[in-house]
Amino acid sequence: MDLMVVGINHKTAPVEIRERFSFTAKQIVEVNRLLKESASLKENLILSTCNRVEIYAVANHSKDHAGDIENFLGSFHNLDISDYKSKFYVYRDKEAIEHLFKVAAGLDSMVIGEMEILGQVKRAYREARESRTTGKILNKLFENAFNTAKKVRTETGITRGAISVSSVAVRLARKILGRLRDKKALIIGTGKVGEQLVLYLKKEGIESVIVTNRTLEKARDLAARFAATAIPFEDFRSRLAETDIIVTSTGAPHHIIRKDEILSLMPMRKQRPLFIIDLAVPRDVEADVNSIDNVYLYDIDDLQETVDETMVFRENELDGCFKIVGASSEKFINWLAGERSRNGE
Amino acid sequence: MTNHSPYFTVHIITIYLSYIAFFAASVAAALYLIQDNFLKNKQTGIIFNRLPGLFFLDKLNYGAIGSGFPILTLSIISGFIWAKHIRGACWSYDHREIYSIALWLIYVLILHVRLSAKMRGRKVAQLSLLAFCIIIFSLFSSCR
Repeated sequence: MDLMVVGINHKTAPVEIRERFSFTAKQIVEVNRLLKESASLKENLILSTCNRVEIYAVANHSKDHAGDIENFLGSFHNLDISDYKSKFYVYRDKEAIEHLFKVAAGLDSMVIGEMEILGQVKRAYREARESRTTGKILNKLFENAFNTAKKVRTETGITRGAISVSSVAVRLARKILGRLRDKKALIIGTGKVGEQLVLYLKKEGIESVIVTNRTLEKARDLAARFAATAIPFEDFRSRLAETDIIVTSTGAPHHIIRKDEILSLMPMRKQRPLFIIDLAVPRDVEADVNSIDNVYLYDIDDLQETVDETMVFRENELDGCFKIVGASSEKFINWLAGERSRNGE
Repeated sequence: MTNHSPYFTVHIITIYLSYIAFFAASVAAALYLIQDNFLKNKQTGIIFNRLPGLFFLDKLNYGAIGSGFPILTLSIISGFIWAKHIRGACWSYDHREIYSIALWLIYVLILHVRLSAKMRGRKVAQLSLLAFCIIIFSLFSSCR
């Protein structure tokens, strides 16, 4: 019997193509059954996420099941599969096992080490069990994949560090200010990253968020979406003394916050720490503000650098991860060989 | 009145208890300065992530000094009473007495600037390290 994976992912095809082959959560259970019948497979499981569509299958040696699976995908989605053949990969046995172990551990993801994928693989496995299309081999394979992912996560640093500008900023805010719930944030400007940052701060439980913008309407719009308060741009300076986190992302061609202003603010703030995140280019805050005691100023490059460092760190961890994956897949291959000889193959 | 005097016992116990609190405060202060330096220079790597945050360290420093200070005060008072009984005078310009008063004054200063919100963070951490240096000097001078 053959163990194989047929798939398409973010490395082989852009989203415009991947989305044509994807399945909705509602479809999966039924499609698993249809696929089993149509491609005469012994066992099969569909993993469909925004970055990949993969079919894991166990079949008899007798014919080209990979081709049957591709044809099924084409006919199900009403697509001429011959146009997309080059986008698909087919891995068998050892390669297929290693591929799944890497996928489950987040080593094949767009952002290396992200763990959302493990939840998605687990869900795909649950759905396939519900379809009754998995058997002894895929059950064992996926259980092994989950254990390997856990091992990779606990024994290496692959999940360490923050991987977006917003998560870096929130992490730093926690280090400087402690618990964020009772802190106050002032958002000056309504850029995209700034908006994402508000979302992250809200997730941290921060209650008081004030938004301001030169166009008050935009501030009101953002404030409405995040249960924040909008104030006119001219009023923001009167709120600085009570603020713990300032996020700026205006399109102003000059600095809107200067050192002497913050310096005179600090006694009013009773020297409480102030974290300023300047996402604007050109920058909104005078760089020298960082030299004031208890004031920490980070611009977009500082934050991006931390993200880059995390990615370099994670890439350096890959070798260790691959060793764990290699050892686990070796073990599974030995088990599979035992199964095959028991079945007289 | 000898070394077995209850004042002497109180004096010795409280002085060491206050030193333990001040030691904790100075460890927190040293870590605060390290973390502050990392943050100011944008070096937020593995060590920075492993060490506690500024808020926690500042709170620990303040809490330890806040609890060490009344104990030190008690220790100095019991020391004076003991000295009065043994030597007939509270104050004899002994170097340990001078160190103790200097130490007490510097902690008064730290608590004052902290409570009046004149200083916070890095400068308070530096002052607590300075205070701990006085403790070390005082211990060395007592050993000689």
